[in-house]
Amino acid sequence: MKKVICIILSAVLSAGIFSSCSSASENSFGGGAFEKETIRILSGSENKELSDILAECSKKTGIGIEMTYKGSVDIMNELKNGAEDYDAVWPASSIWLSLGDDKHIIKHDKSISSSPVVFGIKKSVAENLGFTSGKVSVNDILAAINSGNLSFCMTSATQSNSGASAYIGFLYALTGKTSALNSADLDSPLLRENISSLFSGIERSSGSSDWLKDMFLAGNYDAMVNYESLMIAANKELISQGREPLYAVYPYDGLTVADSPLAYADHGNKDKETAFLAVQEYLLSDNAQEKIRRTGRRTGFTEDYSQYGDIFNADWGIDTEKILSPITMPSEETLMKALNLYQTAFRKPSLNIYCLDFSGSMSGEGNRQLVEAMEQILIPENAEKNLLQASENEVNIVVTFDGSVRNIYTVEGSENLPLLYGDIAAEEPGGGTDMYAAALEGVEYAVTGYDLNNYCPAVIIMSDGASKTGSREDFIGGYKACGYDIPVFSIMFGDADDSQLNELAKLTNARVFDGRSDLIAAFRSVKGYN
Amino acid sequence: MKAKIIGAVILIVVIVCAAGYYFYGKSTDVTVINGYLGGEKIGIIEDKQIADILSKKYHIAFDYSRAGSLDMVTADQTGRNYLFPSSRTALEYYKEQHGDPVSEEIIFNTPIVLYSHKAVAEAFMTDGTVTLSEGVYYADMIKLTDKITSGVTWAEAGLPELYGNVSVDTTDPVRSNSGNMFAALLANVLCGGKTADEASVKEIMPQLKAIFSELGYMETSSSDLFNQFIRTGIGAKPIIAGYENQLLEYAAENPEQYAKLKDDIIIIYPTPTIWSTHIYIALDETGKQGAAALCDEKIQQLAWEKHGFRTSGCDISSEGGEGKVNGIAPQLNAVINMPDYKVMKVIMEELED
Repeated sequence: MKKVICIILSAVLSAGIFSSCSSASENSFGGGAFEKETIRILSGSENKELSDILAECSKKTGIGIEMTYKGSVDIMNELKNGAEDYDAVWPASSIWLSLGDDKHIIKHDKSISSSPVVFGIKKSVAENLGFTSGKVSVNDILAAINSGNLSFCMTSATQSNSGASAYIGFLYALTGKTSALNSADLDSPLLRENISSLFSGIERSSGSSDWLKDMFLAGNYDAMVNYESLMIAANKELISQGREPLYAVYPYDGLTVADSPLAYADHGNKDKETAFLAVQEYLLSDNAQEKIRRTGRRTGFTEDYSQYGDIFNADWGIDTEKILSPITMPSEETLMKALNLYQTAFRKPSLNIYCLDFSGSMSGEGNRQLVEAMEQILIPENAEKNLLQASENEVNIVVTFDGSVRNIYTVEGSENLPLLYGDIAAEEPGGGTDMYAAALEGVEYAVTGYDLNNYCPAVIIMSDGASKTGSREDFIGGYKACGYDIPVFSIMFGDADDSQLNELAKLTNARVFDGRSDLIAAFRSVKGYN
Repeated sequence: MKAKIIGAVILIVVIVCAAGYYFYGKSTDVTVINGYLGGEKIGIIEDKQIADILSKKYHIAFDYSRAGSLDMVTADQTGRNYLFPSSRTALEYYKEQHGDPVSEEIIFNTPIVLYSHKAVAEAFMTDGTVTLSEGVYYADMIKLTDKITSGVTWAEAGLPELYGNVSVDTTDPVRSNSGNMFAALLANVLCGGKTADEASVKEIMPQLKAIFSELGYMETSSSDLFNQFIRTGIGAKPIIAGYENQLLEYAAENPEQYAKLKDDIIIIYPTPTIWSTHIYIALDETGKQGAAALCDEKIQQLAWEKHGFRTSGCDISSEGGEGKVNGIAPQLNAVINMPDYKVMKVIMEELED
C-alpha cells in the first residue's frame, strides 16, 4: 500500500462555542459535526517528520489533510500527468515543480523550510578521514571511497530529490565545472569511470529519504547522503540508542539545498483553494515555523539558530552561520539525460533475484497480475516509461517455484530480458508453495555465481504469501551464513497474506509492497532500493 | 380582521425578501474573467482591496493561471479571456501567432533591476562595478557584463565564501519576461550600449549564448526566482534580475519579514536599464472589461502603494513602497529601449537551442 493516509482530522465545533451569542433553543443548530474541506497533498517522504505539526495544523484550521508520499521525481511525473488525485504537491525542491508543471496547474507555491543535502558520516570515521576540520570536497570523499575507507547509503537519483541532488553534485565535482553542467560534459569517458567508481561505494540504496533514514538506523552503515534535517533526526535516535552519531559534511563543490515548496494544484475548486491557503498560512505562521525549526529544518537565512544548539548541534558538524553556496542546477535537458544515465549506466548494477510463485493458489487472478508485472519490468519500452530500465551490467535471476524450485533463469545485461519474459509467461501455476526454499536457492545461486560486492543485490518475492514453513529455518540459517546484506522485498498478489512476507522483510531490513493496488509504484519502490 | 393583518404581514415579508434578493443578486452578479497572468502580478490580482473595487464598481473578478509572459502566448487559450504579460515583446509575439487581439492596453510599468546582498555590493564597489549615489545603488552594466563573460570567480571578485563564477540568475529568457528583458539588456550592452538591431545582434549572439548556458536550470516564473532569493541566503543566489516592484510589494505585504532582511538585501539599478511594460491583452469582449477596470484611478494608486508598480499617475514620493524600502531611484535617467520584436525573436531562437 503506497498511499499512506497520515492525518484525516476534521474539527468538531461544540455547541458551547455558540452559546454566548445565541439563545439556548438555537444552540442545537450548532451542535453537530462541522465538516470543512479535506485537502490531499502529494508529498516527499521527508515530510513524514512533520506529522505532529500537520496534525496540529489540521486541528487549528479545521481542515483535513491527507498525505500521500512519493519521491520527488515521481511527483514531477504525476504533475506532468495532471495530478488529478491531489489538491496540492509538496516535493523536496522547487525544481521538480517547474519541470513538472507543463499543464500550468501550480499556484501559491511557497517554500516551507529548507535543508541542505549532506554526507552524514559516523563521527569516528569522519575524524579518521580528516573531514571534521577545514573544507571537504566531493573529490576528498571519492578518494576515501576508492581507498576502501568509506561506504555509504543514498536514495535513488531517479526517484528521490536527495539522491538526485547528491548525484548532480557529484557530477559537478568530478567534471570540475563551476558553471552549469551541459549535455556534452556527460559524455566524458573519464567522468563515467569516476562516477561508477563513486557509486561502487554504495552499500544500500532507497527510494525515499525518510525510509533511507529508517534503513540506516536499522542497519550498521558508515554514512548516508540525506537532508541535514533527517541526519539530525537520525542522530537523536542514534544517541537515544547509545550509538555513535553522524557528522555532517557539506562538500563545497557539490552542495545542494532543498527548499520544500508547498504548492496548490488547481483543478478549479475554490473551496479547496481556500482550504489550501489556510493550511499554508498556518505552516508559515511564526508558531509553526518555530516547531519546524525544532525538527532540524532551516527557515530563512536571517534566523537566529543559536537557541537550537541541541538540534543544530555543532558537535555533529552543523554550522548554521556558514554560508551555503550550492551548485547551479543544469538545464532540464541535461538533468534528464543525467538521470537516464544514472539509471542505465552509472549506478551500481542491481542483481535482482526474483522468486516467482507459480503455486496452485496463484491460479487465475494472482498469476495474471504476476505475469503482467514482469511484463512491466522486462519489456524495455514499458520499463523506460517509468525509469525502471535495467542497467548495462545488471543481473536478473528468476527462480520460479511451487512446492519446490521449478526453474532458475539468468539474464546478464538488458538485451535478453524480453526472452526471459516469454519463458515466465509460458509457465503454468499448480502445486504447493515453499517460498523459503526458493529464496534460499536464489541467494545461494547468486553468491556462488557473482561477487556481490560489485552489485546492489535484492531478493524480490512475488507471491500471495501463503507458504508452508518447513524450510523457514533453513532459509534463516542459510541467509545469515551467506554473509551479505541482501534485502528480501516482497510484492503481494492474489489473495495475499502478508504476515510471512513481513517477517522476511523485518529480518532483512526490507519492505513489503502491494502489487495489486499500484503495481508501478510498487516496482518503483523496490527498484529504488537496489 | 386578524386574517387580513396576517395577510398583510406575509405580503410585506414577501416584498422585503424579494427586494433583498433582487439587490443582493445585483451586487453579487460578478463576471469572472479568466486568463494567464505573469507571476509578478499575482499580488495585485489577489489584493482584496483591489478585488473589492473590481467587483463593486466594475462587477468583475479575475481568475488566473500563472504562466511566463512568452509561454502564455502559445499555451492553450480555450476558456481564457485575457493574457497579462509583462512586455511589448509578448504582445508582438501574440500578434505574430494569432493576429491582432480584441484590445491591448498598457496598465503598469516597472524597471528591470538587480537584487543582491550588501556584501556583494561592497565587493563590487571596490572597482566601480557598483556605485552608491544618494542612497541608491547603480551597476555599471559594461563592467558587470565583462566580469560575467571573462569567467571571474566570486573569490576573485572578493567573495571567497561563494562557490563558482560571477553570474546573475534570471528566469528562462525563452519562457519568462524578466529573463527575456535581462537578455535584451545584455544584448544592448554587448552591442556597445546601443539597442541591438538585426545586424549587430548576430555578432554578439555567441557571447550572449555563453552567458545563459552557464546559468543551467532557470526558473520559468519571476515570482519563483524572487521568492527563492528572499528565502535563501547570499550563497544560493548572490544576484538575480527581477522587477523593481517585487521588493516594494514584498515589503508592503510582509513588513515584519522585510524588517529582518532590509539590512542585507538591496536593489541595484542597472545603468542603463530597461522598462518592463505590463500590457493587458483582451482575447474576447468579456476580457475587455478587465482593461478598463485596471485603469481605474484608485486601482492604479493601490498598484503603486501596495505593489510597487509605477503607473502613469503615480507619485513616487507618495506613501508607496518607497516609504518602506530604502534605495529606490526617484527617476530613471539611463534607460535603453528594448530591441524590436524581430531582434528579440532571433535572441529567443538562438537561446532556445
